[in-house]
Amino acid sequence: MSGTLDKYPTMKLIKEIKLFCCVFSALLFSCSDSLNFDQADTLVAEPEIEASILYIEAPERIINEAAGTDFFVQDFNFDAFSSDFFAERVVEGTVAYVIENTTSKQLEVTVEFLDESGTTLDSEVFMIDPAPAAPLEREILYGGIGRNLDIVTNTSSIRVSAENVLGDTTSTSNLPDPKVILKSKGKFKLSVI
Amino acid sequence: MKKHMILIIALFGLGSYALGQNKSLLYDFSEIPQSLMVNPGVQSDFKWYAGVPALSHLSFQVGSSGLSANTLFANDGLDFNDKVRDRLIFGMSPNDELSGNYQIELLNIGFRGRDTGNLYSAGIYHEGDAIGYWFKDYAILAFEGNADRVGQRFDLGHLKTRGDVLNVFHFGVNHQWKRNVTIGARAKIYSSIASFDSSKNKGFFVTTEGQNNLLASTLDADLKWRTSGIFDLRAAEEDGTIASTVLKKGFFGGNLGLGFDLGFTYNLNEQTVITGSLLDLGFIYHTKDVMSYSLKGNATVEGVEIILPDALNDPNADFWQELVDEVEQFIPFEDNNKNYITFRPTKLYASIRYDFGEQVPPKGNCDCGPYATLGSFRAKYANSFGGQLYMINRPRGPQAALSAFYLRRLGNVMALKTTYTIDKFSYTNVGLGLNLQAGPVNLYVMADNLLGYGNIANSNYASFQLGLNIISWGKN
Repeated sequence: MSGTLDKYPTMKLIKEIKLFCCVFSALLFSCSDSLNFDQADTLVAEPEIEASILYIEAPERIINEAAGTDFFVQDFNFDAFSSDFFAERVVEGTVAYVIENTTSKQLEVTVEFLDESGTTLDSEVFMIDPAPAAPLEREILYGGIGRNLDIVTNTSSIRVSAENVLGDTTSTSNLPDPKVILKSKGKFKLSVI
Repeated sequence: MKKHMILIIALFGLGSYALGQNKSLLYDFSEIPQSLMVNPGVQSDFKWYAGVPALSHLSFQVGSSGLSANTLFANDGLDFNDKVRDRLIFGMSPNDELSGNYQIELLNIGFRGRDTGNLYSAGIYHEGDAIGYWFKDYAILAFEGNADRVGQRFDLGHLKTRGDVLNVFHFGVNHQWKRNVTIGARAKIYSSIASFDSSKNKGFFVTTEGQNNLLASTLDADLKWRTSGIFDLRAAEEDGTIASTVLKKGFFGGNLGLGFDLGFTYNLNEQTVITGSLLDLGFIYHTKDVMSYSLKGNATVEGVEIILPDALNDPNADFWQELVDEVEQFIPFEDNNKNYITFRPTKLYASIRYDFGEQVPPKGNCDCGPYATLGSFRAKYANSFGGQLYMINRPRGPQAALSAFYLRRLGNVMALKTTYTIDKFSYTNVGLGLNLQAGPVNLYVMADNLLGYGNIANSNYASFQLGLNIISWGKN
């Protein structure tokens, strides 16, 4: 064990303090790369959200039981597009439809987007061949080079109508559980930042 | 607006894994009275000490594991949106966290009792600490959305954050139990000023192929956000009474809690010492100005579904509203004022130290020989080196840091401590602490991650501590 040190030598102390100051200064010599916080102004956040919109299923029995050729007309309240969060941020998007027909009928299905007063803003007509037929798929673009985006943002309800084109109310498809099905989904880009 | 958004995002990216409250430089630096605050069982030889009010200990610590300012804001000509996407949103993991801490000691005094083996300490300090993990899947949803991500589960558990602003009132006893054992304990009363906690979230959001329609959106959520004290502060800010409200809440008018610190020092032999401490083993019971929010339940929707002919039974049916109501029924968003408990982030320190070199002349009543008896203080050596372990309890589990240190005493005037701290995220954290003793006046200053100051914009961690005390060993 080393001897007790009664008094630390002054010169040694000064020397060690100098050494410490040099090391500390070197370590603390602070500098910084050039930063540009204005870059944040260029930030764009435009998430694309995707979800189903409307699903309608009608068995062939409904078509055969209808009095006229227009076997189905219905308006559906749909506030998702006109909600503030969506309407104020949507940039563009698509609505995709898939129609499957396993009935023996040729059908014409019309989908209309209506505003709050019931005025038709946009309509899409689908001519569907009787079964067996491949599902009819269609995508409608809104915004950008597509249809006017205001159609979507002003849509308050959706009207779906279906017509039995040839008026055949007697035949029945030999496929199991014949029906006509309308499926749809929307994919929209929103401007969040 | 965008700058604010980025700053918030960057703040959540600035995470220091467990380093946020690690005081490796102060730990076992027994010349400094505040070393008692990180180990109540530290070997100390003060007769009494008094911290200069509000200046006896100031500490600020913040760090980042995920990114630095340079990562996003470097003037490198790269597209900013690409940097945000590649380095922030997809570059960081949910384990990256923000961990910041500050402490301002308002009052700290210590004195020996009649039994000189007992050193009593008491004081008040103000503390703020917060942690936020990178909410990666929320960020992906916010910046990229869920489109074309069929089957990808967005983990709602990525939101984990908590924070407190509080005053801590403490009273501790440091007792030299045996010649080679010193133990200590401290009781704490927490007076919370404001608190938030959202650290036990679970659930997911996923888009899959629908059973009927083209897509099915499923939300399975168990989210909670609990706060206390925040609404009072907001109201006080509007009324212009923020200062008095903070004072009132900080001095037993807020939500109260109880905690303990424990610690020991044990001399394995004359020159080899092990130490350990457990800090903030406590809780806060939130009963005042409590506001909690929850979102719990699960639902799967495939849009508005109309299946004929049943759907036409009610010609006035509002299928959209029914869908909204159904979702709200299955996943209710609720708020309440129920009391709740939060636990303090408990810290653990442990160290082994080897002392060598010349003995430093004692300041206190030292009977320094090997046959010295209880009640005397051990001599200090000019040099010490060793290793320290630090662990802290975090929302994602304990996190650890390991430090090697060297302490050099230059007489009784000056002491230096340098540390090299390593954890799974940092291999270059070198710290330096200086303690100066000019008569009864004690000044210390400490800084971590000094190499980071070479380019502060690229630094992931910074910490600074300083303090001013008056110390007496009974001789001055």
